[in-house]
Amino acid sequence: MTHLAYLDAGSGSLIVQAVVGGVAGAAVAAKLYWRRLVARFRRQPTDRS
Amino acid sequence: MAFFDTGVQAEPGSFRDPGNRVFHRHGEVLRGLDERSARDWRALAAADFFRDLLAAGKVCGTEELTPAPVDLPWAAVLRHERIPFVSHPYEWTYGMLRDAALLHLDVLRMALADGFTTKDGSAYNLQWRGATPVFIDVGSFEPARDGEPWAGYRQFCQTLLYPMLLQAHLGVDFQPWLRARIDGIEPDQIRRLFGGTRRWRPGVLTHVHLHGAMQARNARASTADVRAQLRAAGYSRELALATVRGLEKLVRRLDHRPGESYWSDYQRTCAYSVPDRQAKEEFVDRAATATAPGLVLDLGANDGRYARIAARQAGYVVAVEQDAAVADALYRALRAAGEQRVLPLVMDLADPSPGGGWRGVERAAFGDRARADLVLALAVVHHLAIGRNVPLAEVLDQFVALTAPGGSLVVEFVHPEDPMARRLLANKPDGLFPDYRREAFEPLLAARGRIVRQAELPSGTRTLYQVVVHG
Ligand SMILES: C[S@@+](CC[C@H](N)C(=O)[O-])C[C@H]1O[C@@H](n2cnc3c(N)ncnc32)[C@H](O)[C@@H]1O
Repeated sequence: MTHLAYLDAGSGSLIVQAVVGGVAGAAVAAKLYWRRLVARFRRQPTDRS
Repeated sequence: MAFFDTGVQAEPGSFRDPGNRVFHRHGEVLRGLDERSARDWRALAAADFFRDLLAAGKVCGTEELTPAPVDLPWAAVLRHERIPFVSHPYEWTYGMLRDAALLHLDVLRMALADGFTTKDGSAYNLQWRGATPVFIDVGSFEPARDGEPWAGYRQFCQTLLYPMLLQAHLGVDFQPWLRARIDGIEPDQIRRLFGGTRRWRPGVLTHVHLHGAMQARNARASTADVRAQLRAAGYSRELALATVRGLEKLVRRLDHRPGESYWSDYQRTCAYSVPDRQAKEEFVDRAATATAPGLVLDLGANDGRYARIAARQAGYVVAVEQDAAVADALYRALRAAGEQRVLPLVMDLADPSPGGGWRGVERAAFGDRARADLVLALAVVHHLAIGRNVPLAEVLDQFVALTAPGGSLVVEFVHPEDPMARRLLANKPDGLFPDYRREAFEPLLAARGRIVRQAELPSGTRTLYQVVVHG
């Protein structure tokens, strides 16, 4: 179960924290974007059918 | 929430986190916790870092009421140390905002290292004991979940970091921005001020531009999804710690010192003769000794000379000064001295902090917070009456409103012949203030209280009064 906070942390504000976290953080951000990209390509054919 | 005869007064500034709320009862500051917050509290109370923070005075004193009061609808109730005078970030000097930010990051870093985090990151999580910041939002701690960035980062940027960037990089006073927006400055607003080469200033590219762009691009992604994606991509607690350390480094670099202002050198260049100053110091000292005040307000405090004299006899002194550079210099001096009983604030007496936030009461107006046993208004009446055109009677009404019934007002009247008054009068049309005279001032004073002491300063152009305000 994902636990949600009372405060809207802001999606962009969460991701940018990875980016500012040096090389290791940037790698996490890159991985996140890569996975999103891959997920979109995988989804597309089925979306169209 | 409906309470029946429990003597409970909800704190209007505490409702954003429904899981724990601050309220007042019988003069105590209490915090009610629901089941989950009570579980978090017990974990917190057993954590080493929290004990260390309490021992160092970095977090406000907190203990659980045991057994929990049965007449209150909470799973657990905490009692907090009372902060002597609640202030808002838009009343702080730059140095205060920066030290508050550093304390927040310090607290967060210690929490993270011990498996905890804070749910938010707001400047309103902090208060002051004199010139020492205190983290007050004990309800903000919760066990950290691995793989999650700090939920309070956005608030930290909006209420602490961006105001500092404004002041440190652009020389723009941050206070009006915070006063106007309870949630602080949005990335989308501040980024417009940091175009061109300014984007290369420390902290701007990432925390402002990139942050703003990421917010825009991810506006429709839910935070739950993004948290899951970050965790899957390997976001770790070490990364969260690295982010906090990066922020600390940035904030330390933003060590802006306001330039000299008109009032900066006042005590050295002012028209006082040494005998005048001595007579004034003695007058203030006697008033403070005679009243042994709990709370003192020093209005137009400048370098805090009289605030500090009053502090020798008082519980707590709030030193109000409109000039941000002067107030910041005072803050740094007090901080260096480890002063815990004099709180410097930046505020224009002709435009005091209004109520703010939800219904205008979430952040209490200055007038609703300040009820002092002793009010000092030294060499400031002429600034309001001549400099700001406020009728003399109203100037006094305002001073009296800030004084507790039966409390004392020490006020200095600078005669129209005094060089300083003459300088102000020279900027206004002749004869604009026919009532700015001692003969008009005294009856106004007498109508508002009992004049118990009065002294002419040796220069002959200034008079001091101590008035016991009608109860
Ligand atoms: C003449 S000095 C007096 C300083 C000190 N009270 C004393 O008696 O030595 C006036 C001080 O009041 C401050 N001041 C003037 N107008 C003010 C206002 N509207 N609100 C707050 N402070 C003000 C000035 O910035 C200055 O520091």
